Amino acid sequence: MQLADLPSRRTETWKWSDLRAAMAGQEAVLIGTGAMLAEGPIAAFAEMLGDGYGPSELVIAGQDETFETRMSEGDAGQFGSVTLKAGASATLLERIAVTGSRLRPFLPAHARITLEPGATLKRIVVQTNAADAVDAALVLNEAVVTLGAGATFRQFVLGQGARLARIETSVTAAEGATIEMNAVYLAASRRHVDLTSRVTHAAPGVNTRQLVRGVARKGGRGVFQGKFLVERAGQKADAAMQHNALLLGEGAEVFAKPELEIYADDVACAHGNTAGQIDEDAVFYLRQRGLPDDEARAMITRAFLFEALPSWLDEPLRGEIEGCIDAWLRASS
Amino acid sequence: MLDLKNLHARVVPEDGPSREILKGLSLHVPAGEVHAVMGPNGSGKSTLSYVLTGKHGYEVTAGSATFEGEDLLVLEPEVRAAKGLFLSFQYPLEIAGVPVMTFVRAAMNAQRKARGEAEVSAPDFLKLSKAAAARLRIDPEMLKRPLNVGFSGGEKKRLEIYQMLMLEPRFMILDETDSGLDIDALKVVADGVNALRGPGRGMLVITHYQRLLDHIRPDRVHVLSAGRIAKSGGPELALELEKSGYDQFLKAG
Repeated sequence: MQLADLPSRRTETWKWSDLRAAMAGQEAVLIGTGAMLAEGPIAAFAEMLGDGYGPSELVIAGQDETFETRMSEGDAGQFGSVTLKAGASATLLERIAVTGSRLRPFLPAHARITLEPGATLKRIVVQTNAADAVDAALVLNEAVVTLGAGATFRQFVLGQGARLARIETSVTAAEGATIEMNAVYLAASRRHVDLTSRVTHAAPGVNTRQLVRGVARKGGRGVFQGKFLVERAGQKADAAMQHNALLLGEGAEVFAKPELEIYADDVACAHGNTAGQIDEDAVFYLRQRGLPDDEARAMITRAFLFEALPSWLDEPLRGEIEGCIDAWLRASS
Repeated sequence: MLDLKNLHARVVPEDGPSREILKGLSLHVPAGEVHAVMGPNGSGKSTLSYVLTGKHGYEVTAGSATFEGEDLLVLEPEVRAAKGLFLSFQYPLEIAGVPVMTFVRAAMNAQRKARGEAEVSAPDFLKLSKAAAARLRIDPEMLKRPLNVGFSGGEKKRLEIYQMLMLEPRFMILDETDSGLDIDALKVVADGVNALRGPGRGMLVITHYQRLLDHIRPDRVHVLSAGRIAKSGGPELALELEKSGYDQFLKAG
């Protein structure tokens, strides 16, 4: 693999997350490793930095089991597959923790996830960033999900970004599948967080709900790219995508590209997209009641973000994610 | 208690030129009194309430406003609130995702903290909330919902008075509190407001119509026209205005 193989801002789906530029000067990592894979750059990175462990394979046939992975700087890339047998149910929890350590700053993971008919999966990705100010981390996470008939896929992603972080999900759904993919992103100064998703409604009666809420501070960049594709066979698709961002200060950046591409004629698809500043009249209302300016802003922002936390998110994980958001809001930059 | 002298203020929109709205307003509300400010649309009633509470986008160009001898105009809005200034908004804001009780408790504790007092305990807070809700005939379930989101105009106004009862302010500004209320709701709201009348408290009731003043009896009535007080008098002035209208003052102003 060479630098020139990596997607850059000239590549439509990577135009706001220039991987080639992020890897410039670090070509040594690429030398002597495998070729670019057909699955794309994230898979290639995950395999390349897998340190020879080879792909992992997980097959789940039981009910309500939880599987957890962790990754931080210095860890090997994760590359593998997860299969839920028909009717099985499970929770996948992926923790990606940027610490700001001086270990190898590449955190790539790629998973092929297959849900057989009637299976249910909850997938939660918690990407935190505890580095003080600047970090060198490159977080690349991709899940390619195939849903069988009547399967249910619920996903929640918390992204705090890194020098460059991209968390990507592609779902292809068979008849009667249910999809819920919510996310919250927090782009602090000098952090880049990219949430990209694509849902292909390949058969009739697929129900999809997506709510993504994000905030960016001065010098932070948030990216949301969401695509719903309804193929000719995807009649009666019921799909709603919503992305809302708050820009917390001058010089905060949010780039959003919501897309609907529909080839079936009997569908109910909607999308909404907003990016704006906090309502100053609302801030004044709270201050008139006695809340200091920073607390008023935090209360409004917190409530805005918490609306994207799904109801199926159980304690103690819910409390942990709320804690991450609160800690982020308390931090000054 | 509240002293306004020769107050000049202008509204400074983000886009467009600023406009002078208050043009030499003087007003004195002693402790224990309720004063009504009446006036036609555009006379500066809402500007007065925003200037006193410190909203962004309003600039005082001359004159003074003191509360218990202290210069109000240099204080942040939350500091004014902690000193006991409360505005019942003409158009209460919707705050998505923040339940009423969560918000009011946070506000109450923020004010107490600013005054160096201890936080309210959960049982005490619930007791206060229950009493305030009962007085205003508010369904307790409503207090668990996000503040004002999906509430009717009347419900929002009732919620304003609920917050007022909870926060027990020392000076209240009621900006067009009667708008959006039917006659029954008006009585309930007035009863809540009257419960806070007392020797240590003052009140400014800003209204376009006389009907609210049937239920909240003012000690003094002032007519605001073109940014200054055009006439002051006793409660009978409100009745007179109801008959003869504001035209006489518009011409004079």
